[in-house]
Amino acid sequence: MERTPPDSIPTAAPAVGSNEQAREREVVVKAVNLHKSFGDLEVLKGINLEVHFSDVVSVLGSSGSGKSTLLRCINYLERPTAGEIYISGVPMGFRLDSQGQRHSASQRTINHMRQNIGFVFQQFNVWPHMTVLENIMEAPVHVKGMTRAGARELALRMLERVNLLDKQDAYPARLSGGQTQRVAIARALAMEPKVMLFDEPTSALDPELIGEVLATMERLAEEGTTMIIVTHEIEFAHEASDRIIFLHDGRIEEEGPPEQVIDNPRSERCQQFFSRLKHRR
Amino acid sequence: MSERGDLRIVKFDNLVAIFNASLLWEYRSLLLRGLAYNFYVFAVAGALAISLGLSIAVLRLQPGWIARSIGSVYVEVFRNVPEYVLLIWVHFVLPLLITALLRSQVNFSPFVSAVLALGLAYGGYFTEAFRGGIQAVPRPHVEAARAIGMSGAMTLRRIILPQAIRHMLPEGMNLLVSLFKATTLVSLIEVPDLLYQVTIVVQQEMRPLPLYSGAAFIYFLLIFFISAAVDRLTQRWRVAWR
Repeated sequence: MERTPPDSIPTAAPAVGSNEQAREREVVVKAVNLHKSFGDLEVLKGINLEVHFSDVVSVLGSSGSGKSTLLRCINYLERPTAGEIYISGVPMGFRLDSQGQRHSASQRTINHMRQNIGFVFQQFNVWPHMTVLENIMEAPVHVKGMTRAGARELALRMLERVNLLDKQDAYPARLSGGQTQRVAIARALAMEPKVMLFDEPTSALDPELIGEVLATMERLAEEGTTMIIVTHEIEFAHEASDRIIFLHDGRIEEEGPPEQVIDNPRSERCQQFFSRLKHRR
Repeated sequence: MSERGDLRIVKFDNLVAIFNASLLWEYRSLLLRGLAYNFYVFAVAGALAISLGLSIAVLRLQPGWIARSIGSVYVEVFRNVPEYVLLIWVHFVLPLLITALLRSQVNFSPFVSAVLALGLAYGGYFTEAFRGGIQAVPRPHVEAARAIGMSGAMTLRRIILPQAIRHMLPEGMNLLVSLFKATTLVSLIEVPDLLYQVTIVVQQEMRPLPLYSGAAFIYFLLIFFISAAVDRLTQRWRVAWR
């Protein structure tokens, strides 16, 4: 499927209707002609992307294809070299003045915007000097300014969602890798973000621990959470995603429903990638 | 020849002369007042060193080269000048420089010079300790904090420092012990610390052996037990996160 660059760049959030249908159409994450270089190395070479409310999008591709960089640009952990990111229509990392001139957003604004974007890393996600409950309460209390009682109640609800209520007072050192990742998911959810970004959340885990993390993510997908997932778990991506994006060499090579991209890829690179993986299975 | 004879007298006199508790007891209030000065210099210089160390370490980890170079120059200068020389320089030379600059007479009291010199010197060591501690915090812990919307300052305070301090605890404690030992240098610029008081008493009593031995013994006991206590305390912190 060919991506065509959008003809106009919105500068304000689209109106969100009160009914479900209008919400379904809301574009939560939008990337326009996104470029990112590290020195001379161009990692992203013009990515256009739209993720709608409650979409689950998996980003696949070989290592070095720019998957993680794309995710890190969305919440501005990496500053894009060119192009734009919008979160629910609000520009991320820049603002336009009345003349349409582009200015860098203040760090404060970026920090504020990040509250809308949950991020789960590959590993070292959870802060080791706080208990599970304190990890989850940290940002609601200190970033959002919630009361401790309110944040505690919220944190317990989130722990229930990832099925870890019994570990609330444990320190992360006592948890398995899979449990740690579920705490990380609960911590991100506690900020009630508009979108959850997962950067290879199971790549650092022992094989027997991957399942519980994927099951948690699948449950979130069923609950209607908007998610962008960078992963190597092809079967999971096939099951859980509405849409697959296949990245190659900093560009979107192919994009569409899993049945198309994974089962019947059109591009040669895509075919190679998935056939290699099938052989391994 | 007569000097050698004196030495032999001391040797054979009797061993009790090396340690004389009643002599120390007699001057207890003077010695305690001196010891209080050691602690006083230690506390203020230590606070200065730790604040300087933290600030310069954060400066050294900034992306900009100007901030980084300022930090490097500070560390290299103050780590490589012996504390004794620094003490003399701060007490006798620095006031002259400031006087020339401000064109008005400036003098440092011995206490101010002592705190400044030791604080600056140990600030250099603490910078390196903090830097090591901060760098030992895995990058994703920091990114997780930034990604959830924390500011840089909040990330430093709530995520980086609690972990960094744990990493640097052994080195930091060694530095504090060294700093406490270094507080005995301040008697050279006439801060009335324990060693200074002992020297005064020696001049009155003419009995250097038991008095200097006593001072060494007091320092040994203090540092030994404080180190042991700190070790136990930090051990407890280390297991607390498990």
